[in-house]
Amino acid sequence: MSKPEFIYVTYIETTPEKLWHALTDGDFTQRYWFGARLRSDWKAGSSFEMVRSDGTVSDAGKVVEVDPPRRLAYTFINQSDKYKNEFPALATFVLEPYGKLVKLTLTHEGFAEGSKFYSGISKGWPAILSSLKSILETGQPLDIPFEALKMEA
Amino acid sequence: MSKPEFVYVTYIETTPEKLWEALTSSEFSRKYWMGTELQSDWTVGSPFALVNNGTTSDVGEVLEFDRPRRLSYTFRHVLYDDMRNEEPSKVVFTLEPHGHLVKLTLTHEGFTGANKLLDGISKGWPAILSSLKSLLETGTALVIPRTALGKEPRPS
Repeated sequence: MSKPEFIYVTYIETTPEKLWHALTDGDFTQRYWFGARLRSDWKAGSSFEMVRSDGTVSDAGKVVEVDPPRRLAYTFINQSDKYKNEFPALATFVLEPYGKLVKLTLTHEGFAEGSKFYSGISKGWPAILSSLKSILETGQPLDIPFEALKMEA
Repeated sequence: MSKPEFVYVTYIETTPEKLWEALTSSEFSRKYWMGTELQSDWTVGSPFALVNNGTTSDVGEVLEFDRPRRLSYTFRHVLYDDMRNEEPSKVVFTLEPHGHLVKLTLTHEGFTGANKLLDGISKGWPAILSSLKSLLETGTALVIPRTALGKEPRPS
């Protein structure tokens, strides 16, 4: 069986520049990414972190590719003990403009078979990307309760 | 390996009743489903058809109509030669309310293998459901050109 990968496509009425900013600016991500500030200098090879509101780091990895506003790729793994035997997988965002819309394709790949983290991200991404679409189109993120994701304990 | 399927989850600021109506009404579907009308009387066992400008592209049968929680129908493409001979597949929508939101899960399953139809619906559903979300949240559906669906970006 091939390694699991997660692919999510969404279409958003926005510009590639605004979407790029939304994906890479910590002040902005905090509003729709379950309170996480994404922190990096966004150079290939640099570190990448998701920072909780209390300042602790929930996920960490490395920036792999930065081609604004077209392609962004980074690896990350959640820092919890639950995933200590897993390694960072690669999340790639591709932004394609079509008139007033941007087609956003997120591919998260490189997970080992049976990865628990894969199961978690499969539930997390639709929520984060739905909230991202809402904040760009309506000005308001979604208030998605964590229980709605039905993450395994 | 289990049969291939396509799963898509989206969260929409709306009510289950409004979302249910959008998923079952021709008047709504014309706006977000690329001009397609959903034709059915929605009784379990009744036929169901997707019709665009008088041309039927897909047909099926209503399997479940549990308003406003679960909607299901079989799905068979009847228009293009390279997709029309596939076995009927099954579409299931589940709607779960969470405060001001609804979590919508679409499962399109029962494909016999990787095939053109599975590829086609995997490109179609994200566009249809993105447009539906915009319609319910902003009042305006998205106008997504067909060329946007066809391109498959690959890591360079």
